[in-house]
Amino acid sequence: MEGTLDALLHGFSIALKPGNLWYAFLGCLVGTLVGMLPGIGPLSGISILLPVTFGLNATQAVIMLAGIYYGSQYGGSTTSILMRIPGEAASVMTCIDGHAMARKGRAGAALCIAAVGSFIAGTFGIIVLTIVAPPLATLALRFGPPEYTALLLVGLIFLAYMSSTSLVRTLLMACVGLMLGMVGIDNLTGHFRFSFDLPALGDGIGIVPVAVGLFGLGEILSTPSARLQGEVIRPRLRELWPTRAEWREAALPIARGSVLGFIIGIIPGSAHIISSFLSYALEKKVSKHPEQFGKGAAAGVAGPESANNAASTGAFVPMLALGLPTGPITAVLIGALMIHGVSAGPQLIDEHASVFWGFVASMYVGNLMLLALNLPLVGLFANVLRIPYSYLYPLIIMFCVVGVYEVNHSIVDVWIMLVMGVVGYGLRKFGFDPAPLVLGLVIAPLFEQSLRQSLIMSNGNYMIFLSRPIAAGLLALCAVLLLLAAISAISARRDWRGRLAEATEERP
Amino acid sequence: MLIGLAVLALGSDLPMGRLSMPGAGFVPTLVAVFTILLGGLVVIGGRASPPFSSLDWSDSRHAGTIVLTTAIGVTLYTVVGFVITMGLLLLALLVVAERRNIVRATVFSLVIVILVFGLFDKLLKAPLPSGPLGF
Repeated sequence: MEGTLDALLHGFSIALKPGNLWYAFLGCLVGTLVGMLPGIGPLSGISILLPVTFGLNATQAVIMLAGIYYGSQYGGSTTSILMRIPGEAASVMTCIDGHAMARKGRAGAALCIAAVGSFIAGTFGIIVLTIVAPPLATLALRFGPPEYTALLLVGLIFLAYMSSTSLVRTLLMACVGLMLGMVGIDNLTGHFRFSFDLPALGDGIGIVPVAVGLFGLGEILSTPSARLQGEVIRPRLRELWPTRAEWREAALPIARGSVLGFIIGIIPGSAHIISSFLSYALEKKVSKHPEQFGKGAAAGVAGPESANNAASTGAFVPMLALGLPTGPITAVLIGALMIHGVSAGPQLIDEHASVFWGFVASMYVGNLMLLALNLPLVGLFANVLRIPYSYLYPLIIMFCVVGVYEVNHSIVDVWIMLVMGVVGYGLRKFGFDPAPLVLGLVIAPLFEQSLRQSLIMSNGNYMIFLSRPIAAGLLALCAVLLLLAAISAISARRDWRGRLAEATEERP
Repeated sequence: MLIGLAVLALGSDLPMGRLSMPGAGFVPTLVAVFTILLGGLVVIGGRASPPFSSLDWSDSRHAGTIVLTTAIGVTLYTVVGFVITMGLLLLALLVVAERRNIVRATVFSLVIVILVFGLFDKLLKAPLPSGPLGF
């Protein structure tokens, strides 16, 4: 523990350097804007700004990109409360009671509860991350290829199980992602695969064009501008402070949302969306006045907003300690670290201690910055919501093209992005979630390498996965999840995942 | 299912290797087979889904305009450079797709393109493609 504190202090000495503070601030500011603006989410924000980080060192890059991620969780609530449009998917549940509070003249109080809840949950998440990540990474150092193969399989099955669409569809998308990840040179034998003699495909299909296409352009194509015209309720600064009764109502939901969100954040899947949904359901269940939900209950804002922030921090635990992306955003962040020559995973803490601890410390600072940005300056940010979407999305398209091109100076990447945009539009129409595709693409090289190395190690004997305790335990977990999903499908039971699908489908 | 079959066909010339030494075609074949199986399950489960005709395609015209305009922009991007391509792309999207006032749209496009060019080219030192006129 003492070692952790020393390392954290070293991290603060890095995070508090003026240059790093500036990039943390920039990330938080862009994240807040990205979270607020409908039609652009944290994933497209991070992907578009990825090339901008090429001139920075790895610490500055990850500080800025992660700031966009957790900053977007703060910003999303502003649009939900003031316009009843979720700026970001995780803010869907905040629309219900947040906007109802705003209609009652309590917009300021709702924003304050959301910001303070987010701050507490975010800080709680970082404290647990600080404590949990180093021992988890030490444990993961014992992982060999069979354990990694099993771990990646668990990640995929968990993602499919937690998905609001069907398990089969999610796994199908992940398989398509895995196949896309196998384009290019085979790392073990040097064979060119599925590259159609295009030199640009020799290095494989990059995560940036796919992610920006599916989530940036795809989201724009699925969001006709006419649907996003709405009235913006302007909050007054003097009404920002909630009443004592509102604080009392929000306190326990913030605490519960923080714990629930962090736990769900560690599990692969769209954790920040799922956590806010489950937190809302939990708060409604335990409330003494469930009839108030939907009519402006402070608990309906406090719980989901805390949960989605804690989840976004929780997602960093498997990413940093195991090198396992739990969703497309952490997948892009892993990609960003790789571009800077840093591999996320168990070796990160030992080999790049400054990057790890500087990043962790910057999140403490970033959360404070976000509280300052999202409370006194909320009136200023509300003005951004007045920019018509019809002027905004051409700008986003321009940044998508420029951002993707700048990664490799490759026009083929831009074409891939455009194709993926159309694919993303089609997938949304037919009820497929594009997130597992990105996850499959990112884990494909590691999955293939660990599976083949495991078979080489065992001389072609599949029993290697069952004879090693950690791998066998992880595969048993896969089997349990598949069994639970099968029981749920056979009995046609409508559980929380069905209700989550309904809630997210209501997004404009 | 079609994607899986295509991968199987395209990867038929890749060496499969042995179980004790899997080749470059081993994992793609494995994943393609799973894709075909899962695709089959989606097709079987498709009966429970709403019919194709019930999907809302009212936004497809708008989406098509954006895709077409962007495709033209991508084609021109490395040929005529950032400033001209992006200026025209913004203008086309605002005027054609969004039916905005042409004068306002022109001013908006010009200002934005010059600002972004300055940001990337001068501030971030990330060179953008330049056309025959040097920008």
